[in-house]
Amino acid sequence: MLKVEGIGADYGAFKVLHDISLGVADGETVVTVGPNGAGKTTLLRVISGVLKPTSGAIYFDGQRVDGKEPYEIVDIGISVVPEGGRLFPRLTVYDNLKAGSYTKRSRREFKQSLDEIFSSFPILKERQSQIAGSLSGGERQMLAIARTLMSRPKLVMFDEVSSGLAPKVVTNLFELVKRIKSQGYSILMIEQNVRKAIELADYAYLMESGRLQFHGNKEDFIQSPRIKKAYLGI
Amino acid sequence: MALLSAIIGGILFGGSLALLAYGLNLAFGVLNIIHFFYGQGIMLGLYLIFTLTVWFDVPLIVSCLVAVAVIVALHVVVHLGVIQPLLKAPLINQFLALASIIIILENSAMGVWGATYRGVPITLPVLNIYELYIRTSNLIAFIGSLIVIGLLYLFLNKTYTGLAIRATAQDREMASIMGIKPRRIYLITLALVGVLAGIAAAFYALVYAVHPHWGGTFTLMAFVTVVLGGLGNLSGGFLAALIIGVVMMVASFLTIPEGGPIAVYLIFLIVILLRPEGLLGVRARA
Repeated sequence: MLKVEGIGADYGAFKVLHDISLGVADGETVVTVGPNGAGKTTLLRVISGVLKPTSGAIYFDGQRVDGKEPYEIVDIGISVVPEGGRLFPRLTVYDNLKAGSYTKRSRREFKQSLDEIFSSFPILKERQSQIAGSLSGGERQMLAIARTLMSRPKLVMFDEVSSGLAPKVVTNLFELVKRIKSQGYSILMIEQNVRKAIELADYAYLMESGRLQFHGNKEDFIQSPRIKKAYLGI
Repeated sequence: MALLSAIIGGILFGGSLALLAYGLNLAFGVLNIIHFFYGQGIMLGLYLIFTLTVWFDVPLIVSCLVAVAVIVALHVVVHLGVIQPLLKAPLINQFLALASIIIILENSAMGVWGATYRGVPITLPVLNIYELYIRTSNLIAFIGSLIVIGLLYLFLNKTYTGLAIRATAQDREMASIMGIKPRRIYLITLALVGVLAGIAAAFYALVYAVHPHWGGTFTLMAFVTVVLGGLGNLSGGFLAALIIGVVMMVASFLTIPEGGPIAVYLIFLIVILLRPEGLLGVRARA
């Protein structure tokens, strides 16, 4: 489904990504872990079209998509839940969801998507006319995920879905991601919370200083001494 | 009774000022530009209405529609030719480029129409309701402005394009990730600002006579309204417009005609010193 081949990216003179290659197969959940500043968020920015790569290529469903604009990427079926949710804070919950279904393709199915979202997230239905900025941290992240699903994506990318939230909220959010996974979405997840993220993964990558250092399926990944020592504290 | 007339006059004036403030707030909120030539756009509209109506005997309503179309075209041309290319330019370049438009428009007006006051010679009656004097032309401008503000509210809140405008104003990058094309939204916003300026010109055609430097005062007053209400806050702008209108008229009534603007700008200075974010503004934009 998604194939990233040898991607490099900079911020000005500062090289952030070096020769990144990874793939997400249909219905698969791929997790990329690594410390802060490793370039994980930058990778998602490149895939979603916000930042143009300096080298390499990205394919989605066989079509080359690097260099496309963000509004084209979402229309193709790649959607991102950004770190911290990045809601439109002064729009209502309802309008945030409506913004999620902005593309022509998803707009046609707005009513249906909204019904689905409201039945899976009753709290959002209850708060639909509330301003998004007034929600709690967990609710905001839930709305950010719901807004992303409103675009009817095939691939959902999660950027540090757990960052800055209380442990109990984090557990609920990972449950939610699991539910989304079970609905057949392909998922690319960026996480610092290695232990929790790996539980959901079919395949995992380790990224450090802008390079992919190690990858493998869930079992190999967890068993690797390197991961055990540095990230799982075993 | 005369004081009450002044208050009513102030509210009526405030209504059309609110309309002007909406346009500036949109331009600033979405494109983050200081829309300097706003008043000159309206000035040009007033001249067009005068010329078509008085020199060419075109019916007033048709002249007004033509003026709206021309002001929208002016905004679109300036957007594509000047604003869009300079969006990432240093602030001082943007500032001077937009200020240049003022000089170009004012001198063009001076060249074509000269320095004399020009106005449409139609005088609508002054209503006398129990000793309350209300100018019909002001009343039309007020009611018309409220209707346009209502329509604008519906547009911004009920359509996908309106949603895109509000979303872009809050977080441009996220808006584009949602599938919104920011450049298109910028163009639509500037055209919309042009529509508002054009409609303002139509309402003002029966209220004011125009001269080449007419625009500056109105731009400044509209900016003061916007900042007083809280930059980017549409309801704040509305409230501030009514306050400014009433203060202006009442102070002029109680003192001398020049007392109105003096009172307005003194109050403005006091408010921004005590509350820099404006009356309904938020301290930090989220």
